[in-house]
Amino acid sequence: MATSWAAPVVGTMLAGILMACAAEPPPIDELDLVAAALPPEIAGWRASGGDQIYDTETIFQYIDGHAEVYLAYGMKRCLARRYSGSESEPDIVLDLFELASAADAYGVFTHDRDGDEVDVGQGALLRTGWLSFWKGRWFGSVYSEGESEPAYDAVIAISRAAAEAITDEGEVPALVSELPVDGLDLRSVRFLHTQEILNSVVYLGFENVLRLGPEIDAVLGRYDREDGNAWLLLVNYPDTETASWAEGSAAEAGLAVRRDGVRLAAALAPEPASVADSLLADVMGEGL
Amino acid sequence: MTKRKISRRDFVAVGAGAAAAGLVGAGSTSAAETTPKSRVVMIRRKDVLGSTGQADPEILHEMLNEAVAALFEEDSVAAWRRMVFPSDVVGIKSNVWRYLPTPPALEEAIRSELLRAGVKPENVAVDDRGVRTNPVFKRATAIINTRPLRTHDWSGLGTSIKNLIMFVPRPQDYHGDACAPLGAIWHLPQLEGKVRLNVLVMLTPQFHSTGPHSFSREHVWPYGGLIVGVDPVAVDATGARIIEAKRKLFFGDDRPISPPPHHIEIAGDRYGLGVSNPDRIDLVRLGWKEEALI
Repeated sequence: MATSWAAPVVGTMLAGILMACAAEPPPIDELDLVAAALPPEIAGWRASGGDQIYDTETIFQYIDGHAEVYLAYGMKRCLARRYSGSESEPDIVLDLFELASAADAYGVFTHDRDGDEVDVGQGALLRTGWLSFWKGRWFGSVYSEGESEPAYDAVIAISRAAAEAITDEGEVPALVSELPVDGLDLRSVRFLHTQEILNSVVYLGFENVLRLGPEIDAVLGRYDREDGNAWLLLVNYPDTETASWAEGSAAEAGLAVRRDGVRLAAALAPEPASVADSLLADVMGEGL
Repeated sequence: MTKRKISRRDFVAVGAGAAAAGLVGAGSTSAAETTPKSRVVMIRRKDVLGSTGQADPEILHEMLNEAVAALFEEDSVAAWRRMVFPSDVVGIKSNVWRYLPTPPALEEAIRSELLRAGVKPENVAVDDRGVRTNPVFKRATAIINTRPLRTHDWSGLGTSIKNLIMFVPRPQDYHGDACAPLGAIWHLPQLEGKVRLNVLVMLTPQFHSTGPHSFSREHVWPYGGLIVGVDPVAVDATGARIIEAKRKLFFGDDRPISPPPHHIEIAGDRYGLGVSNPDRIDLVRLGWKEEALI
């Protein structure tokens, strides 16, 4: 009878399914997927030397003096691949940094905003021999170790291929849209977490008077207005207690600040000093 | 300009630590007012760089010796003999950064002069990343410190002062506040008082950094120079002025080095390694004068 053999078969199948459910499938590693999707040859340049993967410890062996930028944005790993062209052509180095979030990838991208905009990923800038872009939670850097027209084209082609290998997109941090538009230099906008990154743009000194840190989101923009110019920093703190503490220490340090709940605004390096008031009023209201 | 001769005995104490202040003048204003100026020699040769940008070894060697001779106001042979004893064990602290290393020709020029001064070949080594394990560096009695000047994301500038960071196990421990504490490294027991000469390479200095590898050919230029001195603060401060001037010229506005390379001034004021105020530096200029920027 059909049931006489069907029962044990169904039972075996069920057991198999249950066992399969119990043994979780191996997690999909996005870096592996990205590496696999990268073409081995692009525009006449071939991948050479094998992929290198660096973590938060080994990145210092690879990058001299710049690793802290990526660590400040929650870098997890970096995939480095070298592409070699013909003998007369320079090597091109592709570095893909896996950051903590899309906001962080955007933040790294905004760390250096010189260059011409190009259509790669979710934003890209091209300078002499170097293209940077961001997409999803990835920041990409494609650097040519020499100059030639084919190498220039290859830098762009490799960048596009790398961006296409990254499937997910991300959002620009919402805090960016909170910067007042009037007088804002859009190319000056930076998203950051730490005092060290802020110091690389506007140097405030050693003491972290704004109580910035890895868990805190901040956005910085440069303003050039009729009544003067200044940098405006907007900071979101995790709670009002921390925000209030930061407000107090920043004011004590002589910074022009205004707070509303967990949000703090600071006008940095205002010229003249009076421009700080108008800028802070724009973003936080007139205050008391 | 001071005419004081630097004695061999001075050299035992020169180069690092508070002892350097006694020779070069450092620290407080009152000390600066009463101590001799710190001598720095800047030498430039337009022909040192060939069409490929590589330094001509012979010209570079000549530049080094001319600078050393001017620094000590003696012929170069005597000057090198002031710096090292035949019994010394000498580490040449170089810099291997991929995009702008210390030129091997300069390392070789320094090495050959050390040998000519009587140092035994087995007692001379060139190293950068391996200085903590290099057997010669581990027993070194003297250090010659040389590197190219470049902008740096955390210290503002990669300087002579910063070049000794590879002697510590965790360089990142010195990265706080734009590397303000770098001068402290010079007081570590393995370095205190051992640096006899700083040769800051200004052949193709880098005045701006971009990207993960911090390098762009757009931001180096053929300056064709060396800045040489015993006082690392004075040497670096002089180099920093050139970089600032180049940035102003290139960017067309006042774009200060960021972050500020205040580790130079702090190395003088807090750690007594030398003087950063140009008024306290006796700058001797040799060779190519055009486009010197300072």
